Amino acid sequence: MIFNSLTFLVFFAIVMALHYAPFFSWHQKKINLMIASYLFYAAWNPPFVILLWVSTVVDWWAAQWMVRARRERTRKAWMLTSVVVNLGMLGYFKYGGFLMDNFVSIAGSLGIIYHPPGWDIVLPVGISFYTFATLSYTLDVYLRRSKPAGSFLNYALFVTFFPHLVAGPIMRPTELVPQFDAPRQAKANQIAFGLALLTLGLFQKVVLADGFLAPVVEAVYDAPGKVPGMLDAWVATFAFAGQIFCDFAGYSTSAIGVALCLGFAMPDNFRFPYGAVGFSDFWRRWHITLSSWLRDYLYIPLGGNRHGQARTYAALMGTMLLGGLWHGANWTFVVWGGLHGLYLSVERWLKARFKGFTPGRASLLGLALLTFVLVNITWVFFRAKTFAGAGVVLKGMAGMQAKPEPLIAYGPMIIAMVIVSAIFGTHLTMRNTTLEAVIERTPSVAIAGIWTMLLFAVIVEQGQGSAFIYFAF
Amino acid sequence: MPSSISHSDAHKAEVRGVREGALPAGLRQTAANRPGQAQPVPTRDIPTRPWVKMGAFVLAAVALLTTAWEWTARSWLGLRAGDIDDSPQAWAEARRAADFAQVAIVGDSRILFDTDQARFQAMTGVRPVQVSHVGTDSRALLEHFANDAKFHGLLIVGLADTMYFGMPRVGLGGVAIHNYAKNDKPAQLTGLWLDRWLQNYLAFMDHDYRLSSWLPRVDNGWRKGADSPYEDVWKLSEVSPGRQFFMWDRIEAPGYLQSHARHAWQGFDGPKVPPYVVDRVIARSAEAVRRIRARGGDVIFVRPPSAPELRVNEQKRIPRKLGWDRLLVGANAKGIHADDLPQAQNLVIPEYSHLSRKCAAVFTDAYVRRLVELTPRLKLRPDAPPPLSRADCVPVKIASL
Repeated sequence: MIFNSLTFLVFFAIVMALHYAPFFSWHQKKINLMIASYLFYAAWNPPFVILLWVSTVVDWWAAQWMVRARRERTRKAWMLTSVVVNLGMLGYFKYGGFLMDNFVSIAGSLGIIYHPPGWDIVLPVGISFYTFATLSYTLDVYLRRSKPAGSFLNYALFVTFFPHLVAGPIMRPTELVPQFDAPRQAKANQIAFGLALLTLGLFQKVVLADGFLAPVVEAVYDAPGKVPGMLDAWVATFAFAGQIFCDFAGYSTSAIGVALCLGFAMPDNFRFPYGAVGFSDFWRRWHITLSSWLRDYLYIPLGGNRHGQARTYAALMGTMLLGGLWHGANWTFVVWGGLHGLYLSVERWLKARFKGFTPGRASLLGLALLTFVLVNITWVFFRAKTFAGAGVVLKGMAGMQAKPEPLIAYGPMIIAMVIVSAIFGTHLTMRNTTLEAVIERTPSVAIAGIWTMLLFAVIVEQGQGSAFIYFAF
Repeated sequence: MPSSISHSDAHKAEVRGVREGALPAGLRQTAANRPGQAQPVPTRDIPTRPWVKMGAFVLAAVALLTTAWEWTARSWLGLRAGDIDDSPQAWAEARRAADFAQVAIVGDSRILFDTDQARFQAMTGVRPVQVSHVGTDSRALLEHFANDAKFHGLLIVGLADTMYFGMPRVGLGGVAIHNYAKNDKPAQLTGLWLDRWLQNYLAFMDHDYRLSSWLPRVDNGWRKGADSPYEDVWKLSEVSPGRQFFMWDRIEAPGYLQSHARHAWQGFDGPKVPPYVVDRVIARSAEAVRRIRARGGDVIFVRPPSAPELRVNEQKRIPRKLGWDRLLVGANAKGIHADDLPQAQNLVIPEYSHLSRKCAAVFTDAYVRRLVELTPRLKLRPDAPPPLSRADCVPVKIASL
């Protein structure tokens, strides 16, 4: 089930009615929420609910046995059991075909011809997200950052809680499980603000990402045999930068709004990322819950910055390459992550080299623009399905195509560029604040007017119920 | 050890996670600010604003605007409640229903528009399941059924020659097949049912009049060589339950929309279909027909009519002798060509490619009468309505010309 569907509207109305029904106990309401979350997930593909159960039960018991273990080796064994089961499921469903293809290619290059049967496995929606969420539970317990959850129901609800289940924000158990301890009822103003956030998220997804930006991106990236020139290649890539932000941040905003309506708080996942100055700043603003997860459970265990320069750069690159692979079983994602790793490494080196440098206003704007442009170059590998496809677009961006064709009509191009410029400008001006702080300074009439227009635009756009891009990751 | 997920912390103030009023500096801490530690319950600020009053205003204003938009859709755009739109989910639903159907129809938009299912049923007692798709090469759908061991019925394959033999890619039918499993899931089907229910009351819910569909159409070819949304095919049909497509009455009436629809086809102009492509298409069609027959099914091809304005180019690109006639021989299959049905000559084809609503009934009547002669799987009912003729759908003024 997706937020931008009529099914979800009906589902959410029922969940709200049950959550605020006076005749259910808090315990029963949590059971209701868990059943609703399973229904939310099963609506895609009912059998995959089993994976959720496996992940929930294995991690619950792994953590329980970890705290009961007297020997360090036993603790480690339970932690490894959790890691192997979770990453094993992820590996099988998400990377099985990719590994097999690479194995066949390597074997072929060695003269061994191998024709395995087709890897016809459907990717369970959101598996990358809930795998990371549940792994953080056992890893936090193993690292003695937290105790295991006191109740199986609270833990199971943390894993399945529908607002974050399939596309994040990737929540840690310490962020959500305590919220299940005591009854939670949102006040009327909290529900209304939650609905306003849901409207904003749906507007980003339905109107901007799917309605106006996706067709411009597809005109270049999904046009095999067509050769884009400089204008088309850059516009399509900028449009994709807008699309991926509106799609994913739209989901996160909707999820936060939905949770708020139920009385729960979810963490920020985006903080005006295109207003970033530099790449470490970008990653503190883009998909915050993933980047902090990778930092806490990969970069720091790999040594972080505690073992000298060379090891720091290696840890950085390793983290970003794996972060790239997390997004999809394709080498293009690895290159995307690698480019970000490279950017971060160069930035780190430059910061050490020019320690006393403090940019003025103009340099800040210039650096923000440079960051945005360089991030856009990485998006080419994220969006193109093959290196050949990425090469065609990059060549176009460099103005090196001999016979480029006009691929994007001016009308959609102008609309897309207005949207992307507005996104960039908004991010730049709001980089040191939050949406809530800005709303508090804005007259209520203006907020109500904007809210009306956003909701009306969502209704007029209707949407086609297309899935969020990150569902595939 | 921190105990942030233990019961003992349940009533601490910070566990509430929601805070009235935005932080003065507007900066919440995020996980990015807390490396290597258990993340606490996040804080969400609720800006101090009269949210309930604002929410009530928004609801009222949106209701008003939506009513105005619905009025515009009905009175200015000519949209109608009950025109339920087609969708990938609707196709998936029909495809599922076709698994065990006695008669299923696959093909491109011509057989989709030109088959009147009610007429078909009135004549034979069987309502065909309509699995055709706009903008597609019918062969992809034929092969899809050939690969489905569950299907044992009669498959009517409607085709437009240039689409069947000359499309560089499979087209939208291929996309529908690719996404079939995905679009047949509970979430998709419940969405479809709710959507249909709403469309029975709301006219503005039409994918051709989405905000992002009509706004870019202001660009009527500003950039030479680029595909402008203005040049796309706009709304042509009205759809009722069972994926019954009929020509939209605004296209049937002379005017701007009809002229645009005619213009959008660009005369079906294009290069000649190379003989090797025709050979390949026939070979693959023959194999698909063979597989369906091998498990007890059957296939009959149907070629609906097109207007002389398009037909001239269709003939240039793939003449009947080289395409249709060779297909029937090569696939060892029976077929019904519009040219061979005396009742189906000179029907009204408002935008040159699809029949008018009334003429669709006439064409259906004509081809079903021929169909029952070609297959024992269908019979005319004793109480079948009397035959229709051109006079039943062509306006008197035009008929007398």
